[in-house]
Amino acid sequence: MKKLVIIPAYNEGGSILRAVEDIKTHAPGFDYIVINDCSTDDTLEVCRKHGLNYVNLSVNLGIGGAVQTGYLYGCQYGYDLAVQFDGDGQHDGSYLERMAEELLRTGSDMVIGSRFIEKEGFQSSGLRRVGIRYFSALIRLLTGKRVTDPTSGMRMVNRDVMELYARSYPKDYPEPESVTAILRMGKKVTEIPVVMKKREEGTSSIGGVKSVYYMIKVTLAVLMERLRG
Amino acid sequence: MMTLKLQIVIGFAIVVVFGILVNMIRKRSLELKYALSWMAVLCALLLFDCWPGLLIVVSEFLGIYAPVNMIFFLGFCFSLVIIFSLTVALSRMSNSIRTLDQTAALNEKRLQELEAELKKAEERQEG
Repeated sequence: MKKLVIIPAYNEGGSILRAVEDIKTHAPGFDYIVINDCSTDDTLEVCRKHGLNYVNLSVNLGIGGAVQTGYLYGCQYGYDLAVQFDGDGQHDGSYLERMAEELLRTGSDMVIGSRFIEKEGFQSSGLRRVGIRYFSALIRLLTGKRVTDPTSGMRMVNRDVMELYARSYPKDYPEPESVTAILRMGKKVTEIPVVMKKREEGTSSIGGVKSVYYMIKVTLAVLMERLRG
Repeated sequence: MMTLKLQIVIGFAIVVVFGILVNMIRKRSLELKYALSWMAVLCALLLFDCWPGLLIVVSEFLGIYAPVNMIFFLGFCFSLVIIFSLTVALSRMSNSIRTLDQTAALNEKRLQELEAELKKAEERQEG
């Protein structure tokens, strides 16, 4: 069974090595691929110097385009499952094996690492939690399925969903939209509790005026998913 | 109504703009595909410039009091159509760029791997 970790990296030269080390020690059964999304810092140099397995985008595509590149890579190189893993130190590599087990055991198409099942670790700030709960309710309304952490970036999918995502994946803030898309197709999504850390490097892509845009854009995107049938 | 002088000035301006448009297409700095809509506007303008009576006929037909208002209204609608078509073109373009970027990146990766394999094979041969 070939398992791939997709690490999208935009200006994460300071933390990318730690993320890769984390995977090598805590999830030795996994291969990894770093997607350098045209970083303006030294991410590319770090990848080169340390001989990391990386793919280099020459135009900045945003998180959606970068992760999709990872799915394309996974399909091309014959991987059976792929998991998205943030390079900024929020995610913990020791959960990956457990997620893979869960995926195979339950026969799910996607396993999400959720912060809100056991409510441990960094729980995101108050206002953000309200937003996440809102998306959770929206998805439940539209699909009838319960997803406690629809914005979690830690998601593992099987080959089937990899191919779907390689074909079409949202550009920005892709998580709630893409999970809705596969739920509407009747795919099985399960969640396991994980603990996430506060990010070590960089800042969240969401905040201030952007968060208003985020709420509206993702709401519309999720509703559009419903219209696509 | 328009004076003959104004008619000539407008007519001259239209011809000049048309010349610029043609020159840009010639130099390939403007796609003919996107220039066509602008050419259509210029033709319509020229038509109204040469026969101002046409303007009154059309505005009466549409039930607009002043012919000038009709010009503004049609101009506004037309601008919206062009802007909208640009947004559609932009969406298509950004999708193409995304696909190109991803394909190029994965090809580059493949190339690096092949180069590494080649190097290894050469070393084996030498050694």
